[in-house]
Amino acid sequence: MTFTKSLSASEGLSLRQNKLAVLLMNLTVFPLLVLMTVTGIIIAFPLFIIFKIITRQETPRIIRILVWIYGRAWLTIIRPFTGLQKEGLGKNDIKPPCIIVPNHLSFFDTFFMGALPFTNVCFAIRSWPFKMFWYRPFMRAARYLDVESMAWEETFEACKKELQRGGALLFFPEAHRSRDGRLGRFHSGAFKLSVETGAPVIPLCITGTDEMYPPGRRHFKPANIRLSALPAVDPIGFSGPEGHMNMRHFVKEIMAQKIEEMKAENVLSPSGGGRGRK
Amino acid sequence: MTNDEIIGIINNALMKEFELDKEKMVPEASLHDNLELDSLDRVDMVIVLENAFKFKIREEKEIRDIRTLGDIHNFVIKKIREVERAS
Repeated sequence: MTFTKSLSASEGLSLRQNKLAVLLMNLTVFPLLVLMTVTGIIIAFPLFIIFKIITRQETPRIIRILVWIYGRAWLTIIRPFTGLQKEGLGKNDIKPPCIIVPNHLSFFDTFFMGALPFTNVCFAIRSWPFKMFWYRPFMRAARYLDVESMAWEETFEACKKELQRGGALLFFPEAHRSRDGRLGRFHSGAFKLSVETGAPVIPLCITGTDEMYPPGRRHFKPANIRLSALPAVDPIGFSGPEGHMNMRHFVKEIMAQKIEEMKAENVLSPSGGGRGRK
Repeated sequence: MTNDEIIGIINNALMKEFELDKEKMVPEASLHDNLELDSLDRVDMVIVLENAFKFKIREEKEIRDIRTLGDIHNFVIKKIREVERAS
């Protein structure tokens, strides 16, 4: 006996609509991303001069503002295809100095940091993003930290200065993008920094960017993207030699729980059901 | 406590703390290349071992020479035998 599954008329229509949406997204987002990046590179210097004259801020501070504007432009481009939802990211919800710890699903996660309510964010990331020649000068000028190449003591001192200046740090505690959508092992850096400086940790849960552009895929797919910042975790409750480890376990647990809730809500929502990571 | 029991405790403690796969827990596994433990993880590893065996090892110079999981096994076994002889 053979079993043949045929598509109903509505399923066939939905499939064609999905394929059309994927095509439309790729034909729109890739060219706009290139245009936005090239334009950004061209106008960055004049904008920098204008900002410098008006604000008299230090160079890294101005470059971080420009990077944030680039992130906002990205959110505008991507919004029609993602139904971007933000929670806990209002101006009164999170304030620097703080340490933001997002989960990591996609290359484009960093672009979504344009959704943060402040501009002075120092990315503490691995070496490979510094190898992209078109971004590298901006990353260096913004004084982002290449934590893979730096000794921990050096990273710690640089981070401490950022926090003392009132900035925010951003660490991906998993270090790598998740390959299966699940939360990976957390490294200790962000939590040790929090315990030693007293700066709170802001857990930032991301869902959907792995459906939009996961590692290994070279095209976009529409997805429901949600960014949800959880309440700040104060390091005061985590003392002793194991304090940072306990904090790491705690933050991972609350993030894992929230991400599961977000995924479940996405499946239940009319626009979110049925999308896979293919 | 036998050597195998000590190795079992070490492996379980490290697997739990660093979410390591059981297949990776072979004596020749490099802490850096195979288990992907960075310098901060090594600090955490010392705390995990101290809690598992109720001894203090963070001041021991030999810890700096540890490169593989087998080195950890040998170091801890040696340390436990020293404690046993002293008591």
